Amino acid sequence: MSEHTSFEEQVAQTHAANVLDPDAPAVLTVDNLRMYFPVKSGGVVRRRIGDVQAVDGVSFEVPRGGSVGLVGESGCGKSTTGRLITRLYKPTGGSMKFGEHDQDLATISDKEMKPLRREVQMIFQDPYSSLNPRHTVGTIVGTPLRVHDVVPKKQTLSRVQELLEVVGLNPEHYNRYPNEFSGGQRQRIGIARALALQPKLMVADEPVSALDVSIQAQVINLMQDLQREFDIAFLFIAHDLAIVRHFCPEVAVMYLGKIVEIGDRESIYSGAHHPYTQALLSAVPDIKQATTGERRERIRLTGDVPSPINPPSGCRFRTRCPIAQEICAKHEPPLLQIGKRHKVACHFPGRINQPPSSPITAGLLGVDAQGSPDPGASPSSDLTDQPGYADTWFDLDSKSFGRA
Amino acid sequence: MSSGLSVDAVDGPGGEEKPPEDPEAPQQLAGRSPTRIALGRLARDKVAVVGTVVLLILVVLAIMAPLICDWWNIYPDQKDPNAPTPSQMLDGNQLPSFGPPQYPFTWDHPLGIEPQSGRDNLALLLYGLRTSLTVALLATVFSTVVGVTLGLLAGYAKGAVDAVLSFVIDFFLSFPFILGALALAPIITSRFGGDQDTLRRAELLSLVGILVLFGWMGLARLIRGQVLSLREREFVQAAQVIGVPTWQILFKELLPNLVAPIVVAISLSIPAYVAAEAGLSFLGIGLTESPSLGKTVNSAVNYFERYPLYLWTPVVTIMIMVIALNLVGDSIRDAFDPKTRR
Repeated sequence: MSEHTSFEEQVAQTHAANVLDPDAPAVLTVDNLRMYFPVKSGGVVRRRIGDVQAVDGVSFEVPRGGSVGLVGESGCGKSTTGRLITRLYKPTGGSMKFGEHDQDLATISDKEMKPLRREVQMIFQDPYSSLNPRHTVGTIVGTPLRVHDVVPKKQTLSRVQELLEVVGLNPEHYNRYPNEFSGGQRQRIGIARALALQPKLMVADEPVSALDVSIQAQVINLMQDLQREFDIAFLFIAHDLAIVRHFCPEVAVMYLGKIVEIGDRESIYSGAHHPYTQALLSAVPDIKQATTGERRERIRLTGDVPSPINPPSGCRFRTRCPIAQEICAKHEPPLLQIGKRHKVACHFPGRINQPPSSPITAGLLGVDAQGSPDPGASPSSDLTDQPGYADTWFDLDSKSFGRA
Repeated sequence: MSSGLSVDAVDGPGGEEKPPEDPEAPQQLAGRSPTRIALGRLARDKVAVVGTVVLLILVVLAIMAPLICDWWNIYPDQKDPNAPTPSQMLDGNQLPSFGPPQYPFTWDHPLGIEPQSGRDNLALLLYGLRTSLTVALLATVFSTVVGVTLGLLAGYAKGAVDAVLSFVIDFFLSFPFILGALALAPIITSRFGGDQDTLRRAELLSLVGILVLFGWMGLARLIRGQVLSLREREFVQAAQVIGVPTWQILFKELLPNLVAPIVVAISLSIPAYVAAEAGLSFLGIGLTESPSLGKTVNSAVNYFERYPLYLWTPVVTIMIMVIALNLVGDSIRDAFDPKTRR
């Protein structure tokens, strides 16, 4: 792994956390993306009896050369979102505008998609199944080059060796088989394959969760270097909050097919306003506290994730939410912008253990505090569900829209 | 599987050891593909080696049949102008005038002479072997191609295509083979029945056709099942993300991963086809014009008391061939699939 750089050199290389560039234009704009997998009945005539609402109305932006983290527990739809963007599935609805020409990846045909595949690539979770065991490394990394005629046939091998060097592997190993490599090395091969087409957007589907902790750092550092060198935007899907914090200046938290909170690193990690995000963050073990013996408030979620075939009415998190009230069952909370780069979908957004006493969204939705229709209230027209952030937002202290 | 797997995985003895060169030389780094590892394992399996040698001998005998018969001056039929007439070889009871069963062993006809026709048994055996192996090989090749292609398609396509193909597979599986062969063989043959030569070829091809028609489904089903599980592996999705065309995913990404089950299926289907050819010929619905082991068994059954050698030579030959093929097939399966241990 370290044939090319000595230990001192590696230590000297700093890998500070990625910083947010707030002015970067979006390379990918996902708007109200939906993916319903049909559930069919048994028997001869297989009728559609329901849908797994794996992704239900997800909107976010990935800035050019930046990285957005997508976190959430298993089965919340984060991997499905990644697979929709690479068009491994065709979405049920919504749009995914990509690149300078704003091509919609959601509605484009497979044929039109082919040239775009050079721009959108994917790093897979399991390095043991993402490489074809019957192909040599040279064939694996060379396949994208061959399929898209990136380089003339004669130069494929030298390009493959270049790529192997870029990801820190011995270029002489091109004629070896995947089974001769370790997990970290295999993941590097997967990264080299994705890199071969020089994509603008990389969907990294839990790229390090199958790796040993010591190897995770190496692979993360490698991806950071590559991101800076080639200006690649990352959609980073993970469930390790520490790694997402390091890699992604912007984070979206998903629960049961919906984004519940999205914002920059500060807003999520130090100022989470959604009870689910707070619960996720409080589940991360903290070494400092362990050594000082200090006790920290932990939010324990009870029960299971509800079935995405029959999600709860209103707010999907209400069945496990510690602060849920009547309105949560009646109305779905809108994804409300509450800071410069911070949106949250909750009727009672607040600091940990300090939720507001009355639903702040009631007035905006035109209902009373119990969620019943309120003839006196006027629904707000400022409620938009656009990807990206607006210049004005809802201030939680003054309970009105305005600028800070 | 005498030696442990760990030894093979590192660097098995007996593999192609290159002369020691510069240790940094790139060819030293060449990886060993799973197929080569399996072949190395096979080479150290005694049963497989013995079986392969036996098979090679049989194949060489079949290929050399005309040369051997020329050299021995024996003939598989009476069409040849040099061939002795039946009256020269047989006595009044239609039994051979030389060699067994009534006279001592003679080197002119080491396996004796066929009663009724006066043909040489060794020549019949060699040419019968030739027919058996030709039919079995052709049937295996065609049924493998059909089975693999349809299996790949059905497994990868999903939906309506898979439903239709699976129904066809089930339909042919449930169709009674012997009945189909009984009904089809005469129909196909009669359409081409002109002179003896075309009839012989028509018979051979129709037999191969029938064997293929009822022999591809097992492999198709096997491949479909394998593809169903392989297609969810991430390397297939990686190929889709890269934009690899579907036919390349099928034949370049998936097919190399199916080598083991295909090789196993082939190695076990050859003996089945050998036995099926002999069986059909024995029943009289296979080959009538060309020499065949099954046909010889059929006519020899009437003489099993008076002339046992006549019956035993084709029976023992079929037995040796089928057992050798099966043992080699078993060994190939063990070599390709490290999970099965004996």
